Amino acid sequence: MCDHCLKHGTAGKWYLNARNYTTEVLDDINIDEDFLKEFLLEQYKTFESMQVRKLAGFSAVGLGYKIKIPIIGRITKYFAEKMLHSEKSKFNPFQAEGHIGQVVPLDDAIAILENCVDENTIIMKYCMCRFQTRAEKEACCINFGIMSDIIDKLPRFIPEPEDSKYRLTKEEAIEKFTEFNQKGYIGTIWYGAYPYINNLCACKTPECAGFGPRLNFGIKSIFMAEYLVENNPDNCQGCKRCITMCQFGAINFNEDTKRSEIDHSKCYGCGVCVYACRFDALSIIDRQVIPTLAGKY
Amino acid sequence: MGKTKIKIDYSVCGDGNKIDPRECAICMKVCEPALFLLHQSLEKFENDNHYDPQIWRITPVYLSLCTHCMNCVEGCPEKAITVSW
Repeated sequence: MCDHCLKHGTAGKWYLNARNYTTEVLDDINIDEDFLKEFLLEQYKTFESMQVRKLAGFSAVGLGYKIKIPIIGRITKYFAEKMLHSEKSKFNPFQAEGHIGQVVPLDDAIAILENCVDENTIIMKYCMCRFQTRAEKEACCINFGIMSDIIDKLPRFIPEPEDSKYRLTKEEAIEKFTEFNQKGYIGTIWYGAYPYINNLCACKTPECAGFGPRLNFGIKSIFMAEYLVENNPDNCQGCKRCITMCQFGAINFNEDTKRSEIDHSKCYGCGVCVYACRFDALSIIDRQVIPTLAGKY
Repeated sequence: MGKTKIKIDYSVCGDGNKIDPRECAICMKVCEPALFLLHQSLEKFENDNHYDPQIWRITPVYLSLCTHCMNCVEGCPEKAITVSW
């Protein structure tokens, strides 16, 4: 169990505590709803330029080279992580403060949509990450709570009518999310300024701005899931379908046994491969079962 | 190997000039590691509609991920991109 679960989970996972989805949780850090609305609106207005805007003389341009500079690199990494994990009640809308997320497998995502989210506020909007890196518009981010009040002011995020209806019911949201998962998109749940939870994304690498810093530069911008995937070699037929689905390169093919092998240290526990397997060989297990990886998110 | 430098000629592409990067975006689509970023043009942001900006530009951000495949240079219809390392 991680710190977030201890603080916000009430003896469970942090993202399964329904209180974190209500504005009640904002009282804990003494900010009001209007302030958060204004902050989010300001942030989404200039969302795409976040990585090129200079903050204290620093922007993400050429981040890979900056991180390799001996001392400056470490300082950069430290401040980037500090910003993302920020638990302060003062936010700067020009940076992703307190915006940290975790990978969630399909079952947990369904539990979130069923039990935690206020049905009247579920919306779907275009993925900003895919727009800013590929100029593609694909509606796959599910948002709820305060976001549903401000989305009307941000026309570029609202899906066109032919793409989909953008205010969803619980059943529609679950159906959409299941569809994304089967397509191979990774479910992730995010704090929309800590400690308020407001989006459930279906991510894809390398476009995702959340996975990018972690996979490329080792900045903890997203936590691995509470789970891992395990392969049952008795059922595995070596069809390699799971290998093509894994976005983290965590599954290898063992030429000697003609079976897939999962590298648990690379596995994010998203469970996308589980639904791709036709032979029921893959299953999701709790991360705590493997002692060397327990607590390593 | 030195640092990769990618230059985009903004007098042709983006900033409200000949090509609207939101419509073209060939370089972004062919780039395997997705190192380009499409964003509101910061210099011209003040004159723009803040809720629905119309002036965009492309900036190469994660230069260290560049594989020098030259797909963006070849794909650009205006030959506005140069890559050096």
